[in-house]
Amino acid sequence: MRPAKYLLLAFILVIMIFPLFWMFRVSLAPAALTVTLTSLFSAQYTLLSYYDIFSSGNMLIYLFNSTMVGIVVTLGNILFCFMAGYAFSRYRFIGKNLWFYSVIFVLMIPAHIIIIPLYLLIYKAGMYDTYWALVLPFLVNPIGVFLVKQYIDTLPASMEEAARMDGASELTVLFRVVMPLCRPALAVLAIQGFMTNWNSFLFPLILTSSESVRTLPVGLALYQGHQAIDWPHLMAGSTLAVLPVLVIFLIFQRQIVSGITAGAVKQ
Amino acid sequence: MRSSRSIGYLFASPWIITFLIFWLFPLCYSLYLGFTDYRLLRPTYNWVGMDNFVALFSDRAFLEALKNTFIFVLGTIPITTVISLFLALLVDRNFPGRTLFRSGFFMPSITSMVVIALIFTNLYSRGGYICLLSQMVGLTPPENGFLLSHKTALLSIMAMDVWMSVGYYMLLFLAGLKSIPGELYEAADVAGAGSIRKFFHITLPLLKPVALFVIVINTIKSFQVFIEMFVMTKGNYGTSSAVYFIYETGLNRFEFGYASAAAYILFLIIAGFSILQFGLIKQRNTW
Repeated sequence: MRPAKYLLLAFILVIMIFPLFWMFRVSLAPAALTVTLTSLFSAQYTLLSYYDIFSSGNMLIYLFNSTMVGIVVTLGNILFCFMAGYAFSRYRFIGKNLWFYSVIFVLMIPAHIIIIPLYLLIYKAGMYDTYWALVLPFLVNPIGVFLVKQYIDTLPASMEEAARMDGASELTVLFRVVMPLCRPALAVLAIQGFMTNWNSFLFPLILTSSESVRTLPVGLALYQGHQAIDWPHLMAGSTLAVLPVLVIFLIFQRQIVSGITAGAVKQ
Repeated sequence: MRSSRSIGYLFASPWIITFLIFWLFPLCYSLYLGFTDYRLLRPTYNWVGMDNFVALFSDRAFLEALKNTFIFVLGTIPITTVISLFLALLVDRNFPGRTLFRSGFFMPSITSMVVIALIFTNLYSRGGYICLLSQMVGLTPPENGFLLSHKTALLSIMAMDVWMSVGYYMLLFLAGLKSIPGELYEAADVAGAGSIRKFFHITLPLLKPVALFVIVINTIKSFQVFIEMFVMTKGNYGTSSAVYFIYETGLNRFEFGYASAAAYILFLIIAGFSILQFGLIKQRNTW
């Protein structure tokens, strides 16, 4: 390795990390930080913004909502995508191919174009501005179904057949035999599902309106509406929004990367 | 393969129900709405045929949103593709600290778009860090910061988007690089080929499928640019985008019919582009 290459890599790394570092720095600033080239390293630090967020205000509610919705959606994804993926991989049923094409079809169409009918649907079903709106449409996702189906395709069916010979019911086979074998795929699915949902913005924005069901990204984006932006508080909230994802990423790097690259190379 | 029909159907039903209710129905309903003058607060509405579509193509706000979207797509995708490929090549080989650089480059991609947009609103603002840096290199930043100027707002958002997404596409290119057999390079070494020749004669041709895949998914994603505009400029200063227009028309002004028609036009554009690009991929694979 030549030193010049390390220097280049380090330079790029600084560019990539700096904005996140800046967010953290501002969150620790006492009031609107005067920006100078050296203000990054000035000695004014305070945890007041974090204290304020945790002691009062809506940010705590947003944090709670994001966490709850994220957990429920992730659990739903694990269960339902697994069931559907298994059905597409191992069973034969009427219209199976058609239904599997529907998975691919949804993977390819941009979700943003259905915001108006989805809004109307949720509104007319009486789910507007409730947790249902944030959970129900996202319990099963096409990527998850696809991922599980592809994974189960690579597993030999011999263990399932053996369990059936022993008189195990279909549900036992599903949850006791196949599910444990699918743990790697389900882990990828869970991590990706949680991270996507945690960062999700447009759908929570259009499907809810009151503070009590608002998620963190939406809360942060609308926080700006006030006259002067209170950057330390906003950046403290942002740090809280980013932290779980960063921690999950650092722990599960391998799974995250394998999930992302799964579809790319087999083209 | 089991053929117990009812059980297979039962297991697949969560997806089937979700697909029908939350995807297929909205997609059809949206098409229907596009041909009506449906608005909130109006109990009856009429079938207006192609009126919405005709009106959209003489609506300056829509045309500007569409133009901005195209500028965004055409401006960011080549740069993102080249930089992410460059990054992938930089961190491909085994060297100490490789994981640190890979993770660092990738980090913006997993950060919430809203948070990134907020951070850059601060960095781009008057007297913000980026203004300060551009002064240092002798440039004059816009008086009110980069986002409150017609000249720089869209470009600033595009630059941020490139910064944010190169790490993600770097990973895809890395996976592609891994799939190239090492013997090819060894053979080239024996033949005395330099690294530039190896890049253009081995790496680049074999990466073509991955590169096209990267371009396709990036195109589909970029046509839907919205959060950046919502958070940073509210579509002002020449930054409105197609999805922003749909959001604004449909969910702020509640002109559901008109906005649905706009959504369908965007849908057709994206579909057209993806079909074109997937066609290209198929062609390349048979080469």
